[in-house]
Amino acid sequence: MNRILSDALSFGRQYIRTKVGAFFTFIFPLLLIMLFGAVFSGGDGGGISLHVQNMDDGPYSVALMDALNSTGYFEIHLIDRSSDIQEYISENSLSIAAFIPSNFTASILIDTHIDVILYLDHSKSSSQIAAGVFQAVIAQMNYDLSGSESIIGFATQNPGSDELTPYDFFLPGFVGLTVMITAMYFMTSMCAEYRSRGYFKLLATTGLKKSDWLVSKFLFNSVLLIASLLVTFAVAMLVFDLNAVLTPLSLILVIGGAFLFTSLGMLLGTIVKDPESGSAISNAIGFPMMFLSGSFWDLDSMPEYMQMISKAMPLTYLNDGLRDTMIFGNETSALVNLAIIVLMGMVFFVLASRLMSWKEK
Amino acid sequence: MGYRFEFSNLIGEWDALWSITRGRQVHMSDSVIDVRGLCKRYPPNITAVDDISFSIERGRIYSILGPNGAGKTTTVEILEGLRVPTSGEVTVLGSDALRNYGHIRKKVGVLPQNFEPFDLLTPFEAVKYWSDLFDIPKTRIDIDRLLDEVGLSDRKKVMSKKLSGGEKRKLGIALSMVNDPELLFLDEPTTGLDPKARRDLWELIEKAKKRGATIVLTTHYLDEVEKLADDVAIMFNGKILVSGSPGELVSRYGSKTSIVLRGVGSAGMRELSCRGISSTEKNGDVTVSVSNPSELRAMFAKLSSIPIDIEEIYTRRDTLEDVFLNLVGAKMDEGVLQK
Repeated sequence: MNRILSDALSFGRQYIRTKVGAFFTFIFPLLLIMLFGAVFSGGDGGGISLHVQNMDDGPYSVALMDALNSTGYFEIHLIDRSSDIQEYISENSLSIAAFIPSNFTASILIDTHIDVILYLDHSKSSSQIAAGVFQAVIAQMNYDLSGSESIIGFATQNPGSDELTPYDFFLPGFVGLTVMITAMYFMTSMCAEYRSRGYFKLLATTGLKKSDWLVSKFLFNSVLLIASLLVTFAVAMLVFDLNAVLTPLSLILVIGGAFLFTSLGMLLGTIVKDPESGSAISNAIGFPMMFLSGSFWDLDSMPEYMQMISKAMPLTYLNDGLRDTMIFGNETSALVNLAIIVLMGMVFFVLASRLMSWKEK
Repeated sequence: MGYRFEFSNLIGEWDALWSITRGRQVHMSDSVIDVRGLCKRYPPNITAVDDISFSIERGRIYSILGPNGAGKTTTVEILEGLRVPTSGEVTVLGSDALRNYGHIRKKVGVLPQNFEPFDLLTPFEAVKYWSDLFDIPKTRIDIDRLLDEVGLSDRKKVMSKKLSGGEKRKLGIALSMVNDPELLFLDEPTTGLDPKARRDLWELIEKAKKRGATIVLTTHYLDEVEKLADDVAIMFNGKILVSGSPGELVSRYGSKTSIVLRGVGSAGMRELSCRGISSTEKNGDVTVSVSNPSELRAMFAKLSSIPIDIEEIYTRRDTLEDVFLNLVGAKMDEGVLQK
């Protein structure tokens, strides 16, 4: 244990002295949140799944769903009438859902105003445009029904915490991104440097075992990334007026993410020979993951085949898990994501331990 | 001081006994390293080490001398447990080094070729870190003492990346000695250093020997071998050509003593030839070899009497450089053969 701690401390000392490392861990996520929060506050485009709970048996609710479906923007999924829609939204971590009341058709028939409730997560980049499309469909239906009079209205409600903002959406995504960059990129490039400068061979002449070294890097990255999460969250709270919640599970997810990406970085490090190839292979794996794992935008707004690809990206599960617990309060789903993260991490750890060699053949 | 039981010692001695019962010769008392039929081949058909055998006695500096690519580093890395041989038997400190290196690791110190310290650690931090990795607790005083011994006490708080080449190697030696090793491998420790830094390191190596360590030193510097080595093996193309003490090698493979006639040129050489004296000429200097020391005085007198213009006449003994030239057929400069 002394060897592991000493290795972690020594590594930490060197890490802190590389100012670039500290920048990527502590400053980079805040810059990203600021930048993307500002850019996407106005919304974006793309088709998304719309879950609808239709309590009405009349033809007008069916007509409304047909109209929404015909926009090509929404993909309609029905929510069972017996479900509590708030719980359903939370359990499924939905960013948008609609509720059609039981007296919808009856109200229209007697020309009485009736509201459809649109549960909308304002923190999502896709939510503004979704609300706009929904509003356009309602306006068209009103026009068809009565010319100019507004019979059907819609009220929006937030499905999770109150008054979520785009900054709330980006915070978990960029925390996840920071975990990946800090742990995976740094480990891969460090393995390359250790190999090219002969440090692995040097370490092999001491009592340090490969597994000790791997564990020390995981410990160090866990402490560093927890510190990064706390700093990022604290600054974001002060500057961006966040509503996302820092939960115990979010801290555990960051530790799980540190384990996963430290192991993946080491696994990639087993095949790199020099810093140049280390950088190339990190980018080849890291860049697609950055864009296809929901750090920058809502996965629902991507084409279906891209969403399938995102399922193979380890970062997707960290981002989803962090959003589940920090935004939606959906601890069950967050735990499922944590289990997937730990499982993937164990596979990568075992492979890295077996494939990494400090000796020459 | 009571006997301190260590499980690793028990394993080491059992391993040695087992080796003996299997017919392998292990010299527990005086042989620190015993190598038999060591080969290292790489596909498709590169032979880095070609069936070499040697023993290294306790407390001596054993130098492996050879040009770049001779197989020196491959050999010591096998002895350090860092490389797996194709075939052969290697016993280090009484243990089978190919199977049981783990429990002798603490008794071995290594300074690898082209050693680079961790740039962002100071020498003090690096020594502390290294001693922790060996599970050898060191106090601040212990670390200061070690750094003082290698001449780095004034630079102990400087980031390693700011150290000079010689200081980095000194730090490497300090790290290789944190465990007070019985056996120390120094792989080309002075390559690329200036003369002063090389002399400083030579002093450190001699100090390590005085502390009782057996030292395996690979080098391509002949003067380094003559200065430090008790025994030397000349390695070329993966084979050990000869081995023994530097003096023995000079006696056996050198051309004894020579008389040099400075500035007589090819005309002088012809004069000698007319009198039946064989000689060689280089840069205007003519050298006459005398194989039997008892003939030296007579030959000196004979040469002095020949009526040729001589700038200077002197005798010189062969050195290891001549031995190397005789055996390999080329001189060596910074590890590169000069054909």
